[in-house]
Amino acid sequence: MKTKKKPLKIVVAGEGGQGVQAIAEILAEAAYEEGRQALYIPNFGVEQRGGVSIAFLQIGDQPIGAPKFETADIVVALNARAVLRTRQYAGRQTILVYDNLAEVKGEDLPRQAARILSIPALETAKRELHPRVFNVLILGAVIGATGVVTLDNTKKALEKRLGYKFEHDPKLRELNHRALERGVELLGQVIQGGKEQSGELRAHN
Amino acid sequence: MTGLSESTSANRPAARAGSSATIPVPGEKRVFMTGNEVVAWAAIAARADIMYGYPITPQNEVMHYWTRLAPKFGKEFLQTEDELAAGFTTIGGVLAGKKAFTATAGPGNILMQEPASMAEMMRLPVVVVIMQRGGPSTATVIYSQQEVILTTFGGNGEGFRIVYSTSGLQELYDYTIKAFNTAWRYRFPVFVLADGYQAKMREPLTIYDPLARGMELVPPEQYVGRPGMPGVDRPPGHYRNTYNTEEELYEILQGHVQEYERVAPEIMEHESLETEDADLLIIAHGVVGRAAKQAVEQLREEGLKVGCFRPVTLRPLSAGALRDAVSRAKRILVVESAYGQLGKLVRDALCGLVVEMFSLYKPGVGVTPEEVVIRSKELIA
Repeated sequence: MKTKKKPLKIVVAGEGGQGVQAIAEILAEAAYEEGRQALYIPNFGVEQRGGVSIAFLQIGDQPIGAPKFETADIVVALNARAVLRTRQYAGRQTILVYDNLAEVKGEDLPRQAARILSIPALETAKRELHPRVFNVLILGAVIGATGVVTLDNTKKALEKRLGYKFEHDPKLRELNHRALERGVELLGQVIQGGKEQSGELRAHN
Repeated sequence: MTGLSESTSANRPAARAGSSATIPVPGEKRVFMTGNEVVAWAAIAARADIMYGYPITPQNEVMHYWTRLAPKFGKEFLQTEDELAAGFTTIGGVLAGKKAFTATAGPGNILMQEPASMAEMMRLPVVVVIMQRGGPSTATVIYSQQEVILTTFGGNGEGFRIVYSTSGLQELYDYTIKAFNTAWRYRFPVFVLADGYQAKMREPLTIYDPLARGMELVPPEQYVGRPGMPGVDRPPGHYRNTYNTEEELYEILQGHVQEYERVAPEIMEHESLETEDADLLIIAHGVVGRAAKQAVEQLREEGLKVGCFRPVTLRPLSAGALRDAVSRAKRILVVESAYGQLGKLVRDALCGLVVEMFSLYKPGVGVTPEEVVIRSKELIA
């Protein structure tokens, strides 16, 4: 789908504190570890917490151009406000992934998007894992949706970022890895519309 | 990581016992880091001795990383009470013969202009890194290119300073190192002008030890406290920023003007892309240059004759090269995240030429390649 020249453009948005920037940073780090080109930039403001936090990420094979862009290939929104805030980045080729617990009004969804996928990420994190790894599960979903980096390199990037915590508590590493893998699965299930699917898949056009 | 001993730069008078620790920058290393971190590493690689600073977003992490790195290599840091003090202590460091620098942004850059003017008057090689944020006033902590006029001509003087505008993190590393060399070689204050995007974004770059690449690092020299009796063993050092008569000031400034104009051609830098046969010439600097470059690539693919001129030095501006490129074009389009600041510099440089000038001015916000493409097509159609 992508020509070699054009990088994959990703927007991740959520409430400040949901780990949005960590998702983008780890993805960027994983891409860098793979020897690819990556540019990550956070959208930051004066607030210490709260407010919609947005991360812009581009991954490609050629040096990346301008740090921000108008239309993303994939938009990941972790709550209702983030869906609304990131609508402007959705074009006709864009895939929007959002959490199914986000109370999104139908009219707030970007109608023009190619695909809109709602996944039970928070629910799954709470039920099967731990709410803390919600963002890692989302990270897995992004990898599942794009295949932009490998699971192995993402684990390496996670290690680089959280390795010092994993050393103290190896169970934490296991938890994060499970969240990552579960995220990949979850998106696969949603896309394939399998039995366990608790999200929905809608295609516009 | 192979360390490199600081003692290899034995010709460096300021090398002290405390700074004999190995420089951690390897021969060459591919890294993935933010611009603020890049500046701190570049200053270490340039063998800077001390940073003075006061926190302001988006440059805070320059200080954070420097204070992490500095103690390991016998480097020093002083946090001052504001940017005026940060600027004047940087001057103090320079007078004492240290490679001293500071970093600031926005309102901090305004306060920095008073010490910067003093550095111009006294010909002091201070290095200042600017991460532009939105203005006027506190505005945003995020990004802009609105500190161009302030940084090039912000003092109560003639702008005897050098301003490098970087477009990405590799350049931020390269030009931060270069800034120290330019400052100490020519004895004018040097600014590295970046922005909040470059401060906060992460991208791959190669960091290196300039000495391992065979680059020269211009050694600092003491201004005050040199050995010998002034006027007997050595000429006295007159470092003045106050003059009693108009004529006296005029004479000194004539010297500054001549020296600045003499060295300017050696300092001027620019990048041009597809300018030879361009009907439309896009002029942009810094990170916006990347959007312009992408736009040119796309428009060329569509068979449109568009080129891009990116001044790297905003002061002194490569006016000759710019006039040359513009004289071949039918129209020019100035693109910047400000309302005509680069536009002013460009108009000044082009005075006398006849060309249609258009703009895409977006004060305080980023410019995407898509917008540049759309605006360019309007002008070509």
